[in-house]
Amino acid sequence: MDPNLTELCQLFDRFKAAFTRHDYETCSNLLTQLKVMLTGFKSLPPLFENTKHAVQELTIARDIYEHAVVLSVKIEDQDAFERDFFQLKPYYTDACGRLPHSPQEYPILGLNLLRLLVQNRIAEFHTELELLSSSALENPCIKHAVELEQSFMEGAYNRVLSARQSVPHETYVYFMDLLAKTVRDEIAGCSEKAYDSLSINDATQLLLFSSDKELHEYIKEEHPEWEVQNGRLIFQQAKEAATCKEIPSLQLINQTLSYARELERIV
Amino acid sequence: MSQEDVDIAEATEVALSNSVISTATSTLNQLKEIANLIETGAYAREVRRISRAIRSTIRLRKELKASVVSSFLNFALIPGSEVHTRLSSYLGKDDENDMEIDTATSTAQTPAKHPVPELEIYCYLLALIFLIDQKKYDEAKACSEASIARLKNLNRRTVDVLASRLYSFYSLCYEYTGDLAEIRGTLLALHRTATLRRDELGQETLLNLLLRNYLNYNLYDQAEKLRSKAPRFEAHSNQQFCRYLFYLGKIRTIQLEYTDAKESLLQAARKAPVAALGFRVICTKWAVIVRLLLGEIPERTAFMQRGMEKALRPYFELTNAVRIGDLELFRTVVEKFSSTFSSDGTNNLIVRLRHNVIRTALCNISIAYSRISLSDVGKKLRLDSPDPVADAEGILAKAIRDGAIDATLDRANGWMLSKETGDIYSTNEPQVAYNSRIAFCLNMHNEAVGALRFPPNSHKEKESAEKRRERHQQEQELAKHIAEEDDDDF
Repeated sequence: MDPNLTELCQLFDRFKAAFTRHDYETCSNLLTQLKVMLTGFKSLPPLFENTKHAVQELTIARDIYEHAVVLSVKIEDQDAFERDFFQLKPYYTDACGRLPHSPQEYPILGLNLLRLLVQNRIAEFHTELELLSSSALENPCIKHAVELEQSFMEGAYNRVLSARQSVPHETYVYFMDLLAKTVRDEIAGCSEKAYDSLSINDATQLLLFSSDKELHEYIKEEHPEWEVQNGRLIFQQAKEAATCKEIPSLQLINQTLSYARELERIV
Repeated sequence: MSQEDVDIAEATEVALSNSVISTATSTLNQLKEIANLIETGAYAREVRRISRAIRSTIRLRKELKASVVSSFLNFALIPGSEVHTRLSSYLGKDDENDMEIDTATSTAQTPAKHPVPELEIYCYLLALIFLIDQKKYDEAKACSEASIARLKNLNRRTVDVLASRLYSFYSLCYEYTGDLAEIRGTLLALHRTATLRRDELGQETLLNLLLRNYLNYNLYDQAEKLRSKAPRFEAHSNQQFCRYLFYLGKIRTIQLEYTDAKESLLQAARKAPVAALGFRVICTKWAVIVRLLLGEIPERTAFMQRGMEKALRPYFELTNAVRIGDLELFRTVVEKFSSTFSSDGTNNLIVRLRHNVIRTALCNISIAYSRISLSDVGKKLRLDSPDPVADAEGILAKAIRDGAIDATLDRANGWMLSKETGDIYSTNEPQVAYNSRIAFCLNMHNEAVGALRFPPNSHKEKESAEKRRERHQQEQELAKHIAEEDDDDF
């Protein structure tokens, strides 16, 4: 066996050991070393040279990046997640013909979809979705994210929240918690427009707070314009679009002149 | 996607085949005429002549036989030269006798000079077209590889036209064998070279091929990155521009920029030649979905265009379901035509439509009822969920915020109150709409004026009877070419 590969494997074993101990600081340090070592292998993307141990090296590299993605979720670093995911992606798209299917693939792809949803990058969400085959869409991890997006778009927020109980993978919890925050803001925005007023009890329930105190703090921080009177929450309705009282004469004159000019050109 | 291109090409052939005389010798003679045309074009540096030569070749496509092609090669190239041997090896030798006779006749008239590069490239193109039509894709691949290697060393504007056609066929034969991913690197390199040489037709063609290549694998992200960074200029070929618009429309649809997507797709469908039915059908399909996603309902006439009724049937029923706002009907339609939708690659878009169905239903409800309980809304929407009331409340709240319906919710009583709809004519709205329509018409007129083409020398006034006759002939020819150009492809 190639000495470099052996060294890589040993280091990776240490990384995995630290990972199971939940010693994430050591993990991050080891990961940096691992990534530096990976740059030395010619069989990996973007070169994809067909060396003697290519399959072995690709497999272990994929494994490392999969762990890196999960690690970034554990240490709650979204930027690292994005970086590691993009490094991992070529292994799924371009090397799929040479490597056996990874059991981690769908959970990680689903995780990425969830991240895009949390960051409200819907266009990218759909772009990623197009890359998935119909069998991938049937996978519970992917399906979870896709259904969340639908409920989110429709406005069925309670479905989004109840989905937290049925996460397909433990790593999903972090993003689901972030999503709950986004959902609360959305509900607040919708309620503001949809209701004239709400009782404090209803508002607490609607905005998913466990006590009135939390609600009051939230109002103070996010929506100081909301009023609380006699145990009711009163929203300030935006002024109705006023009907046209006067004729916008200047605009009309400009338009009419431009029509005249154009017509003259035609005749 | 391949279907639409084949369609463009075939439609052209059918339209033109009537005028073709079908004996092998006359085909050969016609090919020789084309060769002449290319030579004069090459010497006079007239790109127009070369494009004309290609058009005539496409017309001959159905008449090509191995014997004809090889005797033409004998005529155009020096027998025994490197190119000649290579091309003949691709064609194979099935018509020995026939070929020998032709060789005898043609060597007599072959000028013993080196052929112009244009003619050489043309021979590659002809052989490639022939091989693809014969479905000999492996030979076609080898042939196109060789031609592209040769093209790298040529930098002549008159070759560009031929080269762009070669690129298309190169990509086409890889597409037929399903190996498009392999040539991505080569295409990118060619696009770079074309950009450096300011070969705009080549850039246009290659950019489209690359987009097609990416979209074939659903790589929308990469396609958009390339598209937004590639240099843009005024389109040279109508066909390439149509394709570009179609690909652009697709990318934008996926990225949820529906308004722009609609514009591109409709424009692509309108600009495409009448004969390219398959292309127009697929454009219309996408345009229908995008309009539905925008909340518009396409008119019935869009589905009743000649030759499209059958292909558009699934989309018609889908539109119907969205228009009525019936989730149950929508579900059945999606199930019924799921195979069509997945072969069109529109499945994911249709999943997005569910949201629009709900919106339409809500609109209908809010118009019909001035007050309705939330549980009734849930029933009417036929939401299959454990808690329809809570779902309905959330959905309604979002619809109100997005401005889809004008109403308020009353949580204590659990009902929705619709607001009175105001008089739209008391606002500026009608004026704005009227203004945008006028602007559209005026803009269209200006563009039409800008696009007018005039025959050369039309300003000369006095002319003799003979000259006038000549001029008439020229004009007719020109008109014919313009018409041909419009529905010519590949």
